[in-house]
Amino acid sequence: MSAPGYAEAPRGRRPTDGDRFKEGLAGPVRGVLQELGQIATFSGQAMAELRGVFRYTSEILRQVGILVTGSLVVVCLMQFVMGMQCATEANYVLRGYGATAYSGVFTAYCGIREMGPYMWGYIISAKVGCGLVAELGSMRINNEFDAMSSLGINPMRYVVATRLMACIIAFPLIYMVAMAFHNLANQLIIINQIGEVSLGGWEGVHYLFLRPLDFFYSEIKIMVMGIAIVLVAMYYGYNARGGPVGVGTATARSMILNLILVHVIGSTFTMVFWGLNPSMPVGG
Amino acid sequence: MSSVVQPPTLPGTPDQPVAPPPGKKQSTGIAAILEEIAAVLLMTFRAARMSVVPPFSWKGEFIEQTVLVIKRCFFPVVISTTFFGFGAPGLQGGNLVNVFGTVDRLGAFFVMASVREFAPWINGMVVAGVGGTAICADLGARKVRQELDALAVLGMDAVREIVVPRFLALGLVTALMNLIAIVFGVLGGWFAAVVVFGDTSAGYLATFSSNFTLPDLLGSIIKTSLFGFIIAAVCCYKGMTVKGGAEGVGRAVNQAVVMSFVGIWAFNFVFTTTLLAAFPETGNLH
Repeated sequence: MSAPGYAEAPRGRRPTDGDRFKEGLAGPVRGVLQELGQIATFSGQAMAELRGVFRYTSEILRQVGILVTGSLVVVCLMQFVMGMQCATEANYVLRGYGATAYSGVFTAYCGIREMGPYMWGYIISAKVGCGLVAELGSMRINNEFDAMSSLGINPMRYVVATRLMACIIAFPLIYMVAMAFHNLANQLIIINQIGEVSLGGWEGVHYLFLRPLDFFYSEIKIMVMGIAIVLVAMYYGYNARGGPVGVGTATARSMILNLILVHVIGSTFTMVFWGLNPSMPVGG
Repeated sequence: MSSVVQPPTLPGTPDQPVAPPPGKKQSTGIAAILEEIAAVLLMTFRAARMSVVPPFSWKGEFIEQTVLVIKRCFFPVVISTTFFGFGAPGLQGGNLVNVFGTVDRLGAFFVMASVREFAPWINGMVVAGVGGTAICADLGARKVRQELDALAVLGMDAVREIVVPRFLALGLVTALMNLIAIVFGVLGGWFAAVVVFGDTSAGYLATFSSNFTLPDLLGSIIKTSLFGFIIAAVCCYKGMTVKGGAEGVGRAVNQAVVMSFVGIWAFNFVFTTTLLAAFPETGNLH
């Protein structure tokens, strides 16, 4: 008879230190993989429900409205701050090379290729992502999804897929407006605050190095980031449990995964789009 | 007898919406935002005073929180900074210095990129997003379960017992994590310089170390420590003023993380501009 407390030991023997060590290493890995699998399943279901989602067009439009009125201002504000940051560093870094006149190269690449999408990822995961976890989480705690199912409404379609579609519609447009603020901040810092480059000199280089194709790539980057963030957030909200505490914990967990995803997606797409072909209009 | 005994609220059930006390008008719009910022500042000053005035009853909780935040933030910080260092400053910055024909200067570029910029704020974002949200959710749950009221009944000061340890823990952990973030950011840049652009490790490290000055490092550490204080103040305040049930906790966490991000970025810009203007030699290439 096994000792009390070791009843579940394999084949009735006490777990050795080796067993416990193996379990300690394998447990977290297994947990992460299980969770990723569940998120993938959830995302697949949400994507599948997108086919019939236009039955609820009014709900989609309402969600677009919420996104624009609730998040546009803070996204624009953050992109403005990011633009100030990029412009400051552009001036001070290129001063070291004696190439301040080429600050436009730095600001063009910093904004549209890299920091615009990253900043987008951060603020969308904070504002939209956490908001969705809180909203869906409290719906789950109040048993609203069960109520919907019993009324014959599919919550995956009515709640999850409509929000996903709303994000797909609204995100590219919000990003365009926000990047306008980014470029405005570049100009304000480089021309008006530091003032080592003339307006014409900066604008000439900056807009020469901003190719339309780069903007298109940038949109692809932020769409992939945005959809991943929204899906992860809705997974954690949809599966929240354990009362008010559970909603808070789910929000915190969604942020961990979202921050990692933002960086991984961002640098992967940089490698794919510009890694070995910077596509610069100068040089050899 | 005028006093009426209220029926106790069961833990876990959503509170009834509480009307504001008579005589105090609920402010809206800009006034509400200003009031909130003022309340956060007041709590911060109180926490700062409590952290130097004995009794230091928060020591145990401080160690507990420090370990907890390090455990939660370590792997996200490592993964995020490595990937970021490889992608944005590594590849794009590498493209830029490649045009100038000096890929070995990528090391010098990483002093700006990693030490001054991205290691501090990625680290701030991860601590805010991972540690700050967890703290806010935890305190919000305590507020909903009326544990904070219970503390007050026992005669314990919630700021001393709960806010001060988290405040100091985040200030310390964010600065320590910054060093790890710098190391892994530079490692990501090494991948870009050596593996992608085919430069030598020696060139990368030599330009990095000759440009790495003390004001850069100290500025980076002080900056991240202040990030930690901002995060702790916002998240504790938001958690301790939760209203309503599950929805209230979720909304508080959401607002806390947005407010800390905005605070981090606004502060980051002011700090970096001041540092660069005060120590112009940090911008020199050696």
